[in-house]
Order: sequence, then C-alpha cells, then structure tokens
Amino acid sequence: MNDQLNNKSLIQCSNVNVFYADQQALFDINLDIRENEVTSLIGPSGCGKSTFLRCINRMNDVIDICKVEGSISIDNQNIYDPEVDVVELRSRIGMVFQKPNPFPKSVYDNVAYGPKLHGRILHQEDLDRKVQESLERAGLWSEVKDRLHEPGTSLSGGQQQRLCIARAIAIDPSVILMDEPCSALDPIATAKIEELIDELKSKYTITIVTHSMQQAARVSQRTAFFHLGKLIEVGDTEKIFRSPEHEQTEAYVTGRYG
Amino acid sequence: MTEEHIVTSFDDELRELTDGLIHLGGLAQIALANVEKSLKMNDHDLAKKTIEADKQINALQFELEEMTFNILAKRQPMANDLRSVFSSVKIILFLERIGDMCKGVCKRIAKGDLLNAKSPKTIDALVGLTKDVQNNLDLVLDDYAQGKADNALNVWRSDIKIDSSYASILTAILEDIRNKPEAIEALVPLFFIARYLERIGDQATNIAEVNHFIVTGEVLTDDRKLEAEEKTVF
Repeated sequence: MNDQLNNKSLIQCSNVNVFYADQQALFDINLDIRENEVTSLIGPSGCGKSTFLRCINRMNDVIDICKVEGSISIDNQNIYDPEVDVVELRSRIGMVFQKPNPFPKSVYDNVAYGPKLHGRILHQEDLDRKVQESLERAGLWSEVKDRLHEPGTSLSGGQQQRLCIARAIAIDPSVILMDEPCSALDPIATAKIEELIDELKSKYTITIVTHSMQQAARVSQRTAFFHLGKLIEVGDTEKIFRSPEHEQTEAYVTGRYG
Repeated sequence: MTEEHIVTSFDDELRELTDGLIHLGGLAQIALANVEKSLKMNDHDLAKKTIEADKQINALQFELEEMTFNILAKRQPMANDLRSVFSSVKIILFLERIGDMCKGVCKRIAKGDLLNAKSPKTIDALVGLTKDVQNNLDLVLDDYAQGKADNALNVWRSDIKIDSSYASILTAILEDIRNKPEAIEALVPLFFIARYLERIGDQATNIAEVNHFIVTGEVLTDDRKLEAEEKTVF
C-alpha cells in the first residue's frame, strides 16, 4: 500500500516554461511535490523530465541559452526570485547524477567537502561525526569505515553512488534530486540504492528521474508522466501503474509507445 | 493509443493467453450446454461424455496458468496489461470451477435416478435455471472476448433472479420430499444439481466483475451491486 506520510507539498511548480533559445522544452508545468515522499518523473527520452528536475535547483542557470519562466517555490519561497542566493539554495537541495561522480579526493573528503565549503562545521570532531553520520545514512559506513582515506574513485560503482548520496546529505538538504541514479549500476547495487531511497524519504523529499517503470513503481509514492515537454499526468504511483487516466500514460507504461 | 506493444512478442503472448481463455470459456459453455441437454433428455451417455471432457478443461487450465505465470515473470506488465493478466488468473479459476460443477451435475444425472424422482416440474425448472445461467455465462464470455464489460451489471441483476429461482426450486424439492418420502433418494440429487447450477451462476457473476475491473480498473463496488439489486424487478 501507499505509505504516504502526509500530503503537504514542499515544492510548488506553477506554469513552468523552459526554453533553449527558440526551442521550448517544457510547457506550462504545474506540479506539487509532497514533503517526505518520493516523486518519480517518467517519460520517453527528450520528454523534459531531466530539464524539469534541473529547474528545481536552478542548474539550468549555467546554460546561457536556457530561459525558465513561471515559478517554483520551495517552502513558499520562489527560487527564481532575483534575491535568492543560488549557492544557499543548492545547499538545501542535494543532487545525485546518472553516473557516480565522486570528487578526485578521499572518501572522507568527498563527504566533508560540502559542510566545509558552506562553513557550517568548524571543529574537526564535528566534521568527523558528520562524515560518519552521512555515510551511515547512505548505508555505506560499514563498508568504508576502514578506507576513509582511500580515493572515492577506488570504490565500486554502487559504493561510489552511495558516496555521492552521502555527499549530498552531508549538507543537510531538505530535497534530494536524483537523475537516473541507478542507470549505471548492476541489479544488486540498484537494489541497495532503492532500499536507501526508501529509508531516506522519512527525512528528505526526493524527486527521481528514472527510465525504469518498475523502479518508479517500487520506490515512489507519486509519479509524474512527461511527454514532449508536457506533464500529461501525475498521481499516486499505484494509480499510474494500475489504471492511469490518460491513454498516453497507459501507452507509455505498458510499452506501447514508439 | 497504438494497440501494439513495441515488443511484438509480448502482444503474441497476450493474444495467445486471451485466445486460450476464450477456448476455455468455450469448453465451459459446451459443458453447460451438455448439462442442459442431459437434464432435459435424461441423457446418461452425454452426461458421461461431459464428465470425461472435464479433463480437457483441467489440462487447459494448467496450460493457461503456466502461460500467465511466465508473462508475469518475463514482462512485468503494467496498467491495462497488468489488469488483464492478473484477471486472467481469476477467470481461469472461475471457468475451471464451472467445469467441475457441470461434472458434478452430470455425475448425478449419470447415476440414473432422476426419473425416479417423478418431479417433471422440478426437472423443467432446473432446465430453465440452466438456461438462465447459460445466458449469463454467454454474456460475460462475449464481453471478455470483446474487451468490454457492457453486461456486467445486467448479469449481476440477472443473478439475483437466478438466486430466487434456486430458492423456489429448493422449496419445491422439499415439498416433494414431504409428499413422496419414498422418492427421497432420487430427490436429493436434485438438490445438489440446483446448488451446482446456482454456483455456476455465481461464477458467471464473478467473471462479470472481473471484466468490469479489466475495463475500468475499478472493483464493482457493493454500492453498484446494490443499485443493480434495487433495479431488479421479478
């Protein structure tokens, strides 16, 4: 059953339109993302789901030709407001990418980097505690506690991805964005990440882009289906995979889409 | 929406399963038609053939269950495919039960005691009950074959009538037992036959509900059933 914790939406997206130069990538997206739930974004390649995900932490800002219209509010603050400090914003939003991308630093430094950068932790022992706590939450501590000073890149692919998750949560974000976090991992490593996502949702609001319908069905409480830059349908995951409202959603989740 | 899956072998498997289910439904319809004829004509040979033919239904049941199991394992169907494959498992079981119950009726007929009951009216009533049940089974299997649930509520309503006929038949048999205690051994099997037929009617109703679920994704709620019940006029 849907173990939905509450219905409060943490992120409200209203009439979001995104353009790459003259090309419109997203059309009037209205989507609320609920607190302490996992929301999956699904849809065929090029449908705009990753573009939408990247709007939530203003990663599209770094693309010169990209223009975002509309509003995205987190905790009732429009993150596209000119007064918003983007660095501070990103410290509230962790991001995990498709391919594990640990920094070329030690396991310890990968996790300690964020808290140090944001100047949040001044004492070494507090930093040690934060690194351990983050690695524990990412389900990695027992595997790396004796390898903290080895390079992050020496870990296996699945471990590296969990290291990236530990790095993301070390800055105490309220939101974690994941862009196909398991697509480069084997089934065992994928299962560990999925288990982790399930555990993390009690503390964080998670939005995940995935190409695996089964993964969306397993890990998320809500699912949003995008197609050609439009949000076709959003609803409880069980509803989307059992009896979606829209024919396009049904065609996609059943594998009838070309 | 395009009807075909990108993976066409998945379509082939679903089609094979649906065709198999329609075939199984056909075998159940034949068994029920044989029940009607055997009852009407007191045809022991046909009753025996029907008992034997149930093996075919059971064999197909296992084959279709295997097919369903493999589709679930290989394809992990979603949405309407999931509803359809999940529902197949239920319909297969309902049809197999219908086969079993037809066999049960035919066993009673084949024993040769029906005429000794000296209750032509009850036999006629049982034949009438069989026809009503047949009609419902035909409707729900037609719906299934066409991917519809148009007759779901009608069948539900009609089953209420079947239950009422069943109750009348039981009353008549009880009265016969009181009036002709010497015929009790021949009358008791009529009880069982009536019971089997009423239960076949229930299975048809079950299939109607499953059809409704396949098409709408919703379970036919008690409210809808109640609504049907209120509209029923005997």
